[in-house]
Amino acid sequence: MILWIAVFHYETLRLNYLSPLIGRELPKLKFLYPPAGWIMFFNVDRSYGFTEVYGLKHGQPSLIDPHEIFETRFVWYDNIHRNVLISVLSLHDAPRFCRYLRRKFPQYDGFTVVYAAHPDLANRPDEIQRQVMYRCP
Amino acid sequence: MSVRAWWHKAFLVERPSLSLGLFRIAVAITVGAHLFPGFFQMEDNYLATAFKEKNGSFFPLWALQLIEQSPDWLVWTFVGLFGGSWACVLIGLNTQASCLLMGVSCYYFYALNSLHIGTLSFDILLVTLSLMYVTSYPGDFLSVDSFLRGDRAGAHAYKRLRPFFVQRLLQLQIAWTFLYTGLSKITAGGNWLTDNPYYYLLRYPPQGVVRQFPFRAWLAGQPEVCQWIELVVITGEFALPFLLFIRRTRPFALLWGVSFHVLLLVTLHVPTIFFFLFPPQLLLFVEPETLVRWIERRRTRHAQRGRIRLLYDGRCGFCLASVARLFALDLFGRLEPIDFHGVADLRAIHPSLTREGCQSRMQLVEPYGRIAEGFDAFRRISVRLVLLWWLVPLLYLPGARWVGVRAYDWVAARRFLFHRNTACQTNQCSSNT
Repeated sequence: MILWIAVFHYETLRLNYLSPLIGRELPKLKFLYPPAGWIMFFNVDRSYGFTEVYGLKHGQPSLIDPHEIFETRFVWYDNIHRNVLISVLSLHDAPRFCRYLRRKFPQYDGFTVVYAAHPDLANRPDEIQRQVMYRCP
Repeated sequence: MSVRAWWHKAFLVERPSLSLGLFRIAVAITVGAHLFPGFFQMEDNYLATAFKEKNGSFFPLWALQLIEQSPDWLVWTFVGLFGGSWACVLIGLNTQASCLLMGVSCYYFYALNSLHIGTLSFDILLVTLSLMYVTSYPGDFLSVDSFLRGDRAGAHAYKRLRPFFVQRLLQLQIAWTFLYTGLSKITAGGNWLTDNPYYYLLRYPPQGVVRQFPFRAWLAGQPEVCQWIELVVITGEFALPFLLFIRRTRPFALLWGVSFHVLLLVTLHVPTIFFFLFPPQLLLFVEPETLVRWIERRRTRHAQRGRIRLLYDGRCGFCLASVARLFALDLFGRLEPIDFHGVADLRAIHPSLTREGCQSRMQLVEPYGRIAEGFDAFRRISVRLVLLWWLVPLLYLPGARWVGVRAYDWVAARRFLFHRNTACQTNQCSSNT
């Protein structure tokens, strides 16, 4: 019990409190506990970023509904609303996600993965900036 | 009070474990709600064709590399393993081992693809789960394990005493989660005191994490109101861990905590842990003795009003075992089992009772005089015993009586074949044995 309690507090405080205090990154216990403690909605700023995936047919792009990309439906919540698609933006993931898209949507000739962002939801809620992250031939 | 005595009182003292039995069901439902939806899209989520993400901060690299090599048949095997162990945890069959297997399966799918399930909520769930399989206590109550015991211990599973440490650690886990969640909002990069995060959340586009709920549009135009809400949320997260441990403030804290989660659920796309796990975990603060007293009061009331008398053949081992199991399911003390061999005048119980009738089928006499026998008696019992309510729709299906009466009579006629007494292993045993 003492060990459980000690590890619980260590892992909760490790990243944001203990490591800065010690001045070096302390080791994380694998297989249990989140990487940064209990940080639910701890920092929400005025910007909001999300992913758009466009399917290309004869050179014409059309936006693909994210619910068709990841079709899994959970009980009482929607992972698309939880921005699960943001995970595919990394260039490291690009080959695997392109392969996935080609399997899911064989009707398209190619795909473009775009990062879209509202830079200031408080003052300019309608403004969206877009940046192509990668293309799937 | 010395530290030793305090420690003993807080963690080691033996108290009823029934709350853990109830919580086990909540854990099973939460785990199921997290994992089962992913199995409906195996090609997208877990098979070789899936788009997978790895959680390198949670798993060591060697574990991820090992799991990544899983062929599809192994993935399907784990689906079966998870489904089986999950069902066993839900009904409390071999609870500790099942819970451990379910936990292993959770880790497997988490390592295989963390894209959908790899949330902070799932990490919290795994911490909770780790406390559920360290002991067998969660299988003490409302479980097949307690039913199969079928003895006095099974009958009184609701007041079985166990060291309190598992329930106490679960209490501490949620209390500290509240505390640290509040702390992270105001320190370590949290911006709840320096900015207006709830206001920004409400101004998220429709595809964002905030649901469309009444007054959202109005709130999204009220940054000052949002700041007050932020203050209430943080105050609550800091206060709840203390209020929950103080007996006087506990009912208020429970109400506050459960309401907070309901509000989260109806306003945000938060994982089901917020609905299925956290509120039941908060209810672990209800003293188990309070639940036991509530059950005892109901048992006393039924005893005063008159119990349902169940007449059975006390010379039949199979009947004795069956009655013991029914007794184990009789949480509120509705039944009074009576061996008809020990009754001199059956007519004193009910005018239509005969020794031949009792010999051929169990007889059920309700306090107001209604009598039923065999399958019909079992149907009446299923209505009366809360733990058998799940059977009622099946037993009252059209045609169920036709099948049930014949099945009951077939078993009843051969019940001595099921005899536990080694001297009576054949059907030769009779009422004279």
